[in-house]
Amino acid sequence: MAIEVLIFYLLAGVAIAAAAGVVLARNPVHSAVSLVLSFINVAAIYVVLRAEFLAVAQIIVYTGAIIVLVLFVLMLVQQQDLPEFHGGRPLRRAVGFLLGLALLAEVAAAILTRSLRGAPGSWTPEAVAAVGGNIQAIGRELYSAYMLPIQATALLLLAATIGALFLARPELIEERLAVARRLFTISLAHPRGVDTLQPVAELPAPQDGQLKPAGGDRSLVMARTAEEFTEQPAWGESRR
Amino acid sequence: MEWIADWLFIIPLAPLVAAAVNFLLGRWWIRDRAHWIAVPAVGISFLASIPAFLAVAQHHEPLSQHLYTWIPAGDFQVPVTLYVDQLTAVMLLVVTGVSFLVHLYSVGYMHDDPGYHRFFAYLPLFVFSMLMLVLASNFLVLFVFWEAVGLCSYLLIGFWFRRRSAADAAKKAFIVNRVGDFGFGVGVMLIFVTLGTLNYAEVFERVGTLSAGTVTAIALLLFTGAVGKSAQVPLFVWLPDAMEGPTPVSALIHAATMVTAGIFMVARAHPIFVASPMAMLVVAIVGALTAFIAATIAVTQYDIKRVVAYSTVSQLGYMAIALGTGAWIAAIFHLFTHAFFKALLFLGSGSVMHGLHDELDMRRMGGLKRYMPLTYWTFLIGAAANAGILPLAGFWSKDEIIVGAWVAGYPVIALIALAAAFFTSLYMFRAVFMTFHGEERFDRAHLHPHDPPWTMSVPLLLLAVGAALAGFVGVPPEQGWFHHLLEPVFEGTAHHEVSPVTTLAFGVVSTVVALAGLYAAAAAYVFRSVSPAAVAERLGSLYRLAYNKWYFDDLYQRFIVEPARASAVFLWRQIDVGVIDAAVNGVASLVVWTSQLWRRAQTGLVANYVLAIALGTVIIVGAYLVAGSSLFR
Amino acid sequence: MSELTTAHFLFLSAALFIIGMVGVLTRRNVLIIFMCVELMLNAVNVTFIGFAWEQNALTGQIFALFVIAVAAAEAVIGLGIVMALSRRLDTVDIDEVRQLRE
Repeated sequence: MAIEVLIFYLLAGVAIAAAAGVVLARNPVHSAVSLVLSFINVAAIYVVLRAEFLAVAQIIVYTGAIIVLVLFVLMLVQQQDLPEFHGGRPLRRAVGFLLGLALLAEVAAAILTRSLRGAPGSWTPEAVAAVGGNIQAIGRELYSAYMLPIQATALLLLAATIGALFLARPELIEERLAVARRLFTISLAHPRGVDTLQPVAELPAPQDGQLKPAGGDRSLVMARTAEEFTEQPAWGESRR
Repeated sequence: MEWIADWLFIIPLAPLVAAAVNFLLGRWWIRDRAHWIAVPAVGISFLASIPAFLAVAQHHEPLSQHLYTWIPAGDFQVPVTLYVDQLTAVMLLVVTGVSFLVHLYSVGYMHDDPGYHRFFAYLPLFVFSMLMLVLASNFLVLFVFWEAVGLCSYLLIGFWFRRRSAADAAKKAFIVNRVGDFGFGVGVMLIFVTLGTLNYAEVFERVGTLSAGTVTAIALLLFTGAVGKSAQVPLFVWLPDAMEGPTPVSALIHAATMVTAGIFMVARAHPIFVASPMAMLVVAIVGALTAFIAATIAVTQYDIKRVVAYSTVSQLGYMAIALGTGAWIAAIFHLFTHAFFKALLFLGSGSVMHGLHDELDMRRMGGLKRYMPLTYWTFLIGAAANAGILPLAGFWSKDEIIVGAWVAGYPVIALIALAAAFFTSLYMFRAVFMTFHGEERFDRAHLHPHDPPWTMSVPLLLLAVGAALAGFVGVPPEQGWFHHLLEPVFEGTAHHEVSPVTTLAFGVVSTVVALAGLYAAAAAYVFRSVSPAAVAERLGSLYRLAYNKWYFDDLYQRFIVEPARASAVFLWRQIDVGVIDAAVNGVASLVVWTSQLWRRAQTGLVANYVLAIALGTVIIVGAYLVAGSSLFR
Repeated sequence: MSELTTAHFLFLSAALFIIGMVGVLTRRNVLIIFMCVELMLNAVNVTFIGFAWEQNALTGQIFALFVIAVAAAEAVIGLGIVMALSRRLDTVDIDEVRQLRE
C-alpha cells in the first residue's frame, strides 16, 4: 500500500506544480504546455482510482482537443503586445492570493472534519471485473439510467457546433462599420437608440366622415392675453 | 287644513329639485330656459306655504312632519322634522314670497348672462337652504342649513367670479361669517354638553336647570352667530362688499332672507335669552351701535347699492334692539315689513343700473324721474317706507321698536334709535334725490334709460304694494292682528304695558324726525340751499370717520388680515417648502446619493466581478462551516 | 498517511481548484483565464472520481464524463467569443473589455 501512496504523491505533486505553472507563466504557450502536463498527471491519477475510461477520455478530449484548440486560438490571436507587459496590479494579485488561502483553509477544515459518507454503491472491483472491465461497467450504467442526459448532451454539442459556425463567420465591412457607428454615437430620443434607415410605414388616411375635431364641438381658441383666456366660458356657462 | 302637515316637505323640496335639475342638466339642455324650472318651483313653495300658514293661524297648533332620523344614537336623537309654528309660518311666507318675486325679476335682469342656468341653480338652492333653516326643529339641523345659506351666499356673491373684486368679496363674506359661525357652533356644543339634547322643545324645557353663567354663555355664543350672519357690529363688514353680486342676489339674500336668519334664530331661541338678562342687554347695545354706525356711514356713500346695503345693516340693528329689549314681536314685525321695502329698494336700484348699463355711482345719475317713472315711484315708496313716513310699513314697525325700547327701561337706546332714524331718512331721500331728481349727469348720448320689461316691473309693483300696506297688519300698535298671531310663540316673556299716550307721543316724534331728515336731504340736493361739500368740510374728522366706514375694514386689514397672511407666508416658505418639500426632496436625493455610491461597484472590469464571486464563495463556505458543519460543535 | 484515503484526493482537488481560481482572479490574458477555468473543471472531476472510488459507485465517473463533454462544448463557444472579441477590440486584455461599465 505504501507504494500507492508514494505514486500518488508523485503524480499529485507534479500536477499541482504544473497547475502553478499555468498560473505563473508569462508566455501563454508555456501556460498551455503546463496545462497539458497537469492534465496528463491527473489522468494517471484517474487510473489509480480505477477510472480507466475517464483517464483515456481526459487525454483524448481535454488534452487532445481542447488544449489544441486553445493553442490554435493562441496562435491566431498572436499578440506582440501582451497584457503582462503593462503593469502588474499587485493589489489584485494579493487579494486573489489571500482569497485562495482563505478558501484553502476552509476546504481543509471541511475535509478534515468530514463526517458524511455517501451510500455505498454496488460496483465493487469484483463486480466491475465481472462485467468485463471499467468501460463495460460505465456502458451498462450510462445507457440504462442516464439515457436522458446523453440526449441532452448531444443537443448541447449540437448547439455548440452551431454557435461555433456562427461565431466563425467572416466579418463584413458593413457590419464592422455599423458596430462602430452604434458604439460611438448617442441617440437621445430614438427609442432604439440607433438611427434606422427604413422609413416608418404610412398609416392609412382616414375618410372624411370618420374625422372628428379633436376638441369635440368646441372650437379651439389660442388665447394671446390673460383677458382672452379668462373670457372663455367656464363650467356653468354657455357660449354666447 | 291639517292635511298640509303631510305635505310640508313640498315646501323645501320643490326648489331643491329645481336647483338639482338646473345644476346637472343646465349646461346642455336647459341653458336659456332655466327659469322655466326655477320660477315655478319657488311658486309651488309659496303656494304650499299658504295653507300651512292658514292652518297654523286658525288652529294655533304647530304642524310638524317627521322626515327621517339623521342621528339615532341612543339617548341622543337628531331627527329631521319640519316644524311649523306661527313664527315659522310668517318666515315661510316672507321667504317664499320675496324669493318668487326675485326669481321673476332675475329672468329679465340676468337675461344676457352666460351663466344664466348656473344662477338659476344657485338661487333655488339658497331658497331650499333658507326654508330648511326656518323649518328645522333642532339646533343641529339649524346649524347645518345656517352653513348652507352661507355657502349659497358665497356662490352667489362670487357669481361673476372672474372679477377679482367679486371673488374677494365672496371670500370676505364667507370668512367673516365663519367667525360668527364658530361662536354659534361652540354655543350649540355647549347646549349639548349641558343639556344633552338639541331639540328645541326639550332644550327650552330644560333651560331653567342651568346656572345663570352657563345660560349667558350659551346666549352670547348663539348671538355671535347672529352677529356674523345678520351683520351686526363688528362683523358687518362683509355686507357692503357683498354688493359685488348680482342685484337680485342682494335683494333676496342680503335684504330679506339670509341676514334675517340671525334675527329669526334669536327669536326662536328666546327662552335661552330670556333666561339671561345680561345677554339681552348685550344684544340691545350691539343692535343700537349697529343701527347708528351703519346709518352714519350710509349718508356718505355714493354707490347706490352700498347705501341700501348699509341701510340693511342699520335696520338689522333695529331688529336686534327689539330682540334685546324684549320686544320680540316687534322684531319679527320689523323683519316682515323690512323684507318688503328693502327688497323693493334693491330691485329698484337694479332696474336703475340696468337702464344705465350697470352704472352704480349716484354722482353720475340724476333726473331719471322722467325716463323711468315706474321705477321712480316704487323706489320712492320703498324709500319712504324705510325712512318711516306715516302710514307706510316702516313707520309702524320702527316706531314699535323705539317705543318698546323706551318702555322696557332703555331710554338711551331709544334715543340712539331715534338719531339713527334721522340719518335713515336723510340718506334714503338723499339717494332718491341724487338718482331721480336734478339735472342729468349721465352720458345722454350713449345711455337711454327706460323702464324695465314686465318681468322686472311686476315684482317692483307688488313689492311697492306690500311696502305701503304691510304695516297695517300690525295696527293698532301692540294689538294688531300680527301681534295676536305671534303671541302664543312668545308667551312666557315679560310684556310691558304701553299706554296709548306713549305710543302717540313717539309716533309724533318719529314722524318729526323723519320729516327733518327729508327736509335736510331736500335742502342739500333739490333746492341746493345747503352744500353737502361744505357740510363735510365743517364736520371734518367726523365726516371722514363716516366716509371711511368707521375704519373697521382698515383695522381688520391691519390687525387680522395682514398678520394672518404673514403667518401663512411664513408657514408656506419655512415649513411647507423648507421642511416638508425639503424632506421629500431630501429622500430623493438620499436615494440618488446612495445609488451614486453603489454605482462604483459597476466598473465593467471582469476581474472585479470575478473577485466578487470568489469572495462570495469564501463567505458562503465559511458560513456553512461555522453554522452547519461539525467543526464548531 | 500510510493508506490512500479519500482525503488525499480531496486535498488534491482543492489545491487544483484554488490554483485555478487564483489564476482567474489574477491574470489579464483572456486565454490564460480560460485555461484556468479548465483547470477548475478538472479539479471538480477529481473530486467526483474520488468519491466514486470511495463509494464503489459509478455515478461519479459518469458525472465526470458529462463534465468533460460540457467543458468541450464550452471551450468551443468560449474560444469563439475570444476570437470575436479580439477581432473587435484588437486586444486580449480583459481589463480593456469595459463596455458593461455603467
